[in-house]
Amino acid sequence: MKKIYFIAIAALCGLSVRAQTNLIAPTNSAPRVTHIDSDSADFDMNARTAIYRGNVRVSDPDMKLTCVRLVADLPQSGRMNHIVAETNVVIDYTDAKGQTTHATGDKAVYNYAVENGATNETVTLTGNAKVENAQGCLTGEPITWNRAADHLTATNPKMIYRQNLNSTPAETNLPTANTNQMSEPK
Amino acid sequence: MVGSARCADRTPQRGIPTFLIVTAVLFLFAMKIFAQQTPTGHATDFTSVEYYTAPNQMRMKSRLSGAEAQPMEGGSLLIKQLKLEMFATNGTPQVIVNAPECVYNSANGTANSSGKLLLQNGDGKIRIEGEGFLWRQTDEFLTISNSVRTTIESDQKMAP
Repeated sequence: MKKIYFIAIAALCGLSVRAQTNLIAPTNSAPRVTHIDSDSADFDMNARTAIYRGNVRVSDPDMKLTCVRLVADLPQSGRMNHIVAETNVVIDYTDAKGQTTHATGDKAVYNYAVENGATNETVTLTGNAKVENAQGCLTGEPITWNRAADHLTATNPKMIYRQNLNSTPAETNLPTANTNQMSEPK
Repeated sequence: MVGSARCADRTPQRGIPTFLIVTAVLFLFAMKIFAQQTPTGHATDFTSVEYYTAPNQMRMKSRLSGAEAQPMEGGSLLIKQLKLEMFATNGTPQVIVNAPECVYNSANGTANSSGKLLLQNGDGKIRIEGEGFLWRQTDEFLTISNSVRTTIESDQKMAP
């Protein structure tokens, strides 16, 4: 299976989304608030697992996610380290410049871990995985976004670049089909 | 044969008082159950505590309490101002659940309500709200039926 690392490509195309670590001013000590809304939910206190069902919406200051079912580990304190979103997963991420990245897939898996002082934070999309923004569109199976290292990795990738790069930032956030011409890479 | 016949003759004489005693005990027992099942009043500061198994049998595992508990038919209790606390073996609170009211069934260890529920973890940084819930004490499983909202507070990350 062909596997290509997209660090350079993503940087050129603007697909690389800035890691969360670069978004926050050092002086800002306010807590970061994340909301998870759903129609219903089960909480297994023994397994420390939460299962959200129906119209699941996750929102934090720079990301919104919707899906049908979401399973998350319940930490004793601090942050959730493992989240699995399933069925019609849609992620909209806004970076520090206001540029929106739109990602879709059948499943998204979020993992966060700190080992030997190094932070490992990834989001892996599978099942018709697609990531797009104003500059282009990336498909692959899977697509992994390493948030800590700030790069995308895709297996069997396919890139579509947009030719029209003159649009204003506000326009680039509109749906791609209406605002930009797409072309296959040569 | 004679001996056996004598024994057979004596058996009914000894069986009558035994039957009466058993009947009386059963009657009293039935009356006791009936009294428990009939709403006769209410209690305040209801508390039910569960402890860890050995070797932590002295440590509280969970505490279900309420400001007011009213007996209902079937042995359930209508608890107002429910508070459920779950503790780690070192005594630190892990989960705190609050609800304006719920029905607690001690026989099967469940608590349920169509009303609101607020759950938070030990340090209060994870809060879960919703309407309509079922809590199963035996396997520590909570189902929230409607309008679930989880709020997670985490520290902002600093720039590298």
